[in-house]
Amino acid sequence: MKCLLIASESAEVLFHWTDPAFLQNIQEKYEVTQEEGQRLPAFEDSISTLFAPMIISCTTLVDRLGDSYTSFTTENNHIYVLHQFEECLYIAVNGDGEEGEDDLRRKIYVMKKMIEVLFGMVTLSSNLLRKELRPQDTQQRARLWKHLQSLLETYSQLRENDQSFLVEAVERLIHPALCEQCIEFLERRLVQHLNSSAERAGEEVLHAFVLVHTKLLVFYSTRSASKLTTSDLLTLIILAQNMYPSNIDTDDPDIENTSSSGPESFYTPEPSPTNRDSSTDKPLRGSTPVFEFMDPDIQMAEDSLQTLEVPPPGPLTPRRVFLEVSSKDGLYPMMPHSMYCLPLWPGITLVLLTKIPTTAVAMSVYKFLEAFSTLEKRLREGQEGSAATRGPPNIQDVRSKLDKFIKVLGPSEVQSAQLQNVWTEFKNRAFARGGSGFNKNLIPWCKNMKTQLCGIYRQCFLIDSGPADIPRCLSPGLQERAQTMAQEKLMDWKDFLLVKSKRNITMVSYPDFPGLIHFIRVDRSTGQMIAPSLCTTERGPASELGKGPVAQFIKSKVWSLVSTTRHFLRKGYSTVTLRDGDFYFCYFLWFESETGYKLEAGDIPVLPDDSAPIGMLAWDYYWKLLRYYSKNQQGEMVKCYELLTVHLGVIPTDIILQHCRQLASKLWEPSRNPLL
Amino acid sequence: MAELMSPDSRRCTYFFLYDESKVRGEGDPTREGICYFYPEETPVDKQELLCGQLAGVVQCVSELSSSPVCSLRLHRNTFAIRMRDNFFWALGCSVEVPTISICELLDQLINLFCFYNGSVRQSYQLNSRESLAARWAQYLSHLRSGSSELQHIFSCLRTIDSAKVDPLLLLKAALILQTCQRCPPVLAGCILFRGRVVSTQMSPKLTMKVMVHESETYTKAQRPNGPSTSSSFGSTVSSTAVFLTMSELQYLQSVPVDKDFSSHSTPHNDASPKKTRLSRTLSDMAFTVSDSFDPNSSWPPQKVSFSSCLSESDNLMFSPVPSQTTIATPHPPPQRLKPPSSNGKRSDEAEEESHYYSFHSEGGGDSWIHSEGDGSVFEENSHISGDGGDGDAACDRVFRFRGVESGNEESHDAHMVVRDRVGSEGAQGHKPEQEPPPHSGAFDGPEESTLIPMTLYLHRVKGLVLALLVEPHFLSDTASTEEVYYSSLASLNGLEAHLRAIFPGAPDSPDFYIFAHFDCIQSTLTTNLSGRPRGAPEHPFVRATSLLHLHFCNTETLQEAIIRSASSAVYGTRSVAQETYFQVHGGSLRNSGIPYYQDSAFSLPTKARHKLLKHGVHLF
Repeated sequence: MKCLLIASESAEVLFHWTDPAFLQNIQEKYEVTQEEGQRLPAFEDSISTLFAPMIISCTTLVDRLGDSYTSFTTENNHIYVLHQFEECLYIAVNGDGEEGEDDLRRKIYVMKKMIEVLFGMVTLSSNLLRKELRPQDTQQRARLWKHLQSLLETYSQLRENDQSFLVEAVERLIHPALCEQCIEFLERRLVQHLNSSAERAGEEVLHAFVLVHTKLLVFYSTRSASKLTTSDLLTLIILAQNMYPSNIDTDDPDIENTSSSGPESFYTPEPSPTNRDSSTDKPLRGSTPVFEFMDPDIQMAEDSLQTLEVPPPGPLTPRRVFLEVSSKDGLYPMMPHSMYCLPLWPGITLVLLTKIPTTAVAMSVYKFLEAFSTLEKRLREGQEGSAATRGPPNIQDVRSKLDKFIKVLGPSEVQSAQLQNVWTEFKNRAFARGGSGFNKNLIPWCKNMKTQLCGIYRQCFLIDSGPADIPRCLSPGLQERAQTMAQEKLMDWKDFLLVKSKRNITMVSYPDFPGLIHFIRVDRSTGQMIAPSLCTTERGPASELGKGPVAQFIKSKVWSLVSTTRHFLRKGYSTVTLRDGDFYFCYFLWFESETGYKLEAGDIPVLPDDSAPIGMLAWDYYWKLLRYYSKNQQGEMVKCYELLTVHLGVIPTDIILQHCRQLASKLWEPSRNPLL
Repeated sequence: MAELMSPDSRRCTYFFLYDESKVRGEGDPTREGICYFYPEETPVDKQELLCGQLAGVVQCVSELSSSPVCSLRLHRNTFAIRMRDNFFWALGCSVEVPTISICELLDQLINLFCFYNGSVRQSYQLNSRESLAARWAQYLSHLRSGSSELQHIFSCLRTIDSAKVDPLLLLKAALILQTCQRCPPVLAGCILFRGRVVSTQMSPKLTMKVMVHESETYTKAQRPNGPSTSSSFGSTVSSTAVFLTMSELQYLQSVPVDKDFSSHSTPHNDASPKKTRLSRTLSDMAFTVSDSFDPNSSWPPQKVSFSSCLSESDNLMFSPVPSQTTIATPHPPPQRLKPPSSNGKRSDEAEEESHYYSFHSEGGGDSWIHSEGDGSVFEENSHISGDGGDGDAACDRVFRFRGVESGNEESHDAHMVVRDRVGSEGAQGHKPEQEPPPHSGAFDGPEESTLIPMTLYLHRVKGLVLALLVEPHFLSDTASTEEVYYSSLASLNGLEAHLRAIFPGAPDSPDFYIFAHFDCIQSTLTTNLSGRPRGAPEHPFVRATSLLHLHFCNTETLQEAIIRSASSAVYGTRSVAQETYFQVHGGSLRNSGIPYYQDSAFSLPTKARHKLLKHGVHLF
């Protein structure tokens, strides 16, 4: 009984995802009222009718009370979580007790993050985003929604099964020697080769990394690249997993198995002529696992979604992703990149991130957007005239730059006439003698300008509007070469890596810690984590905990521990120990200086229950926490760590604390390689 | 912003009762449905907005989930929601208050209303909105005021500090209650001193309900008002009609009354007046324990003779004869204790059950099996004792409660039904022995909402109050009332004098630690953190306690926890019956947050074990 819905203020469904149980629940509601033989209404209609009163009431409360619903709980323990981002209302529902309020809120934030990565700055204009999320063309809409649905499912599956998505930090494969070799390979050979090739069509590889399932084997960034944030990296891993899912359930590094999960058609390059729309750069999976197991009747009723087969995109078509870039002159969110996912073997993927030639346009658009937002904010606050225009940004500066920007756009294929018109009008009102100048009347024009700029951004980066014959990405040949090079490099390691990814480190390697059952250590400054593998499935390699119920029980304890400690952390508690049943849990969060000197525990801000989820994927809590803490540390780099341990309850507390101390101070691999 | 608000306003920001049956059509204005809205000064259009939107959205969600909504949150407020019988309640508190506490608070509020007014629907049919609004306001302000934040967290009873009181006094109080309970119409009681519980025989929840009236009369300086009636004993004694739920009644009846006493009570009319005192002081306890004395000695003659009949022959009890005599009484009183249920048989059973104890102690010496399931004797009993009580307020209430316009007639009919059934059962012999015990859960579910009218009797001696839940006919029964009054008067005076001498106790020597110990069974709290501002919600200890309590509630297997922020470390532990929280004051908590076994936070469990011993708290 799960559902996620995005609706506009006018109660129009912009996206929905439901699991079969929820779908059935909705349909049963209509079966009762429906006459015999009459066709059930389309699912989309049913869901929008049922949710409409809630959505409208939300809007009413915002308008008249300045407040809005954040959650509902029913007596049979159904939970509804609501969150409004701009003009889009997100509603997440759980009716099977598997997710709590925090989980649902996290899901909403993750959904929003994925939409940002896929649509970039278009998300800044509610009007455009609405059109983007709900294309008029039903086929296109079905394709898009299906893609988003499968992303959401991939995420949910990872969050439920993968420790790195539980704590929202990247897990590395621990093999320092191989890692070093790979970095050298990427730097000296692969990236150099790609970036010096003539077939790169102006793109420049910035980051390259190899994923073994969800774990990072190697990550390389060029000198000119800015740091890839953990949030973006985790999102990219979800995208890659969605394209080439590693069957977590079977836990079996079996080639047949992975390729049989459907996406064979991906290997057939088939640039469809209809691909000249916004979904071109978003290859979609053929089917989502959930719908495969559905009752055929339900499937029939399931709107037009089922009647469409998503045209398989070419595997060599990159997808457009929008990632944060920090440059010398500031932070630029949602800058366009191309992402190439090159499968080496099932479970092992090479990912290349390239900078596209027109990035400068995106940067300019962002600067203009920021300028108009600031201006609008000042006008709203009641500032007028020169008070509103006093920099930064300097409005005259913006004016001349925007004039220039439009002039440059002019001859290109980007349709900038509309922007030109609005800008002229804006100038007339703001700067001309007869105009009203800088006051409240200008607010709608600020908004209008922002919409126009987002429109330009959309044309440049979401729609492939250029002539088809001009190459716009790394050529297929080049991609294939990269793939082959990486395959050659890792050929001997392939099987090792697939096993290693399941048993990255194991508790057996820690005989010096009697009574220790499990631990997770996270470096929040780098967004990396390390934890012994938890294997819970029957077929996978057994961990020390054995297979099946015991391991499953420990896993569920670890998952609930993480959510409990987050709850305490939200309330300002950075140390938690719990005696729960036969176990003793510890959680510590602490700060260190860059040189490893322990810093005094600082105050941690207390957040309300409905604040953004604690984590790094959707909203980087730890980055904010570090900034907050660093305020009192003059100029010093501060690092933040977390440690979670699970011990047997019979172990004396001082021994447990000793263990924690050792795990916290330094984590060594059995081969004496330092971890993290 | 939150800091500027007083603790009270943090707790409750909105409360409203909305009658959805009044707003059916499109044109019906929302205000028609608003029965009560707090804060009362809220502009009507805002009231309408909140009532209309919340009721509407809750309807929508309830339909989607096929289950009623129990709570909803806004950014600034959390609302507990209850829907019953077309009524819609919402209680909104600031988001810092855990949702679970708000739901509890709302339930308390509704139950309080039902306790003093009976069914909500009927109250609104019989009374004006304004008068009932005053009640809601009163109950709301009672729940919001008074106790400290810690007490709110556990929603516990306010008790006197047992550490400062001579245990003998507590024993004395318990004894007063026990002796009062021996008077047949008395179900149970409690003794309160200045708004705090000294001793109680009732469940914590029921005691809390009783305390509302006590505190009201206390603040109003014993001015008789509202439903309260003063008796011939002057202003020190008052009473008010109350309503018990079936489960509350069952609970009260499940507590065994001193059987020893019952078996001694052979009827004899020559008992001296001195011996009829129900209560004994500690000094004369030695004598009275083995003393046989007779509660029936001052009963009206008619009753005495009946009682004699009972003791003469058990068989008589099952003969229909006594019932026939009741029909002969000139004013057949209503069956005031019959629950308003359409299911005759069930309510009959309930009735029998509800009167088991009263019958039992009156009938004297018979094993309870005999009385169980036999309504005839009970009928007799209530009729006789109700003889003089036709004008009784409680009785009048029953008529209305049952919604009977021509009350006498219908109740008479109902009575006949009971009699007939009883008659046939009597012929069948000792069938009741096979009946299931009265607490088999037969009254769970819808029957829970059945409310049985009772009377709350208060006897005030300055700051001390004896509150007794009695059957409605108690008041009309002069003999019983005098009995209870005079037998407890001296002891109450004595107790009051002793308690007054203790209050207010000497200030504590400041401890270097804070603790709170909650007894889940008795719902009592022991703490050395007293009063504001230290007990205010922003106090780190209170915050941590609230958070840990929530986790203990949510995780059954959780036994103990230590949580530490930059400024404080709090240890919490719980067992089935208790929760204990402990924090050491001050002391520099300088630490890096990194695990370190010499860290003072981890010595909290040991410290708590040692330090709390002197407070009578044993941790294992």
